[in-house]
Amino acid sequence: MKKEDTVKLISAEGFEFVIDKEAAMVSQTIRNMLTSPGSFAETEHGEVTFPEISTTILEKICQYFYWSLQYSRGKETDFHIEPELTLELMMAANYLHT
Amino acid sequence: MAMYIRVKRSKTTYFIQCDPTETILDIKQKLRVLIDQPVNNQRLILMGTGEVLEDSKTLADQKVENDTIVALTLRKDDNEFEDVDIVKPNDFYQSRDADGGSW
Repeated sequence: MKKEDTVKLISAEGFEFVIDKEAAMVSQTIRNMLTSPGSFAETEHGEVTFPEISTTILEKICQYFYWSLQYSRGKETDFHIEPELTLELMMAANYLHT
Repeated sequence: MAMYIRVKRSKTTYFIQCDPTETILDIKQKLRVLIDQPVNNQRLILMGTGEVLEDSKTLADQKVENDTIVALTLRKDDNEFEDVDIVKPNDFYQSRDADGGSW
């Protein structure tokens, strides 16, 4: 595991989530940020700030990224979403193309 | 990747990919790369039980499962380890860690 292979996602409240790039790229939006050459400052620092996404939602999204990786490798489990999170989570998912 | 754990300290969470057969020392070596702190200065504590995880034991031995939350504390200047310090977002979900990560 190398530091360059991770990316830091920062929530509206300034909480930080350090995850594997591989996991972050489950999101098409983040994939574009990390792979388009020179067009995003985020690419250089490996940090992406989401001022519109709350900490709770961002953590849930990170958990989803890893769940998605596990699922794609044949570990078929359910992904639990608390009902009170669904609306905010859907809005974030829409933004992230996830 | 068989599983991942969530290592938390202050306002930061590290998602660490791992395998149930890996030892706590293996996890600390992964963290060393991310936080630039030698393994001797790291202590990992299982949030559900408050148990300090031992380097030589595996994750499976100590009932650390997928999506488990583990607290990271670091050695301070006086050679003691700091207390667990995990900041939670101040919203309606504040109580979620209190139930031992049952989700």
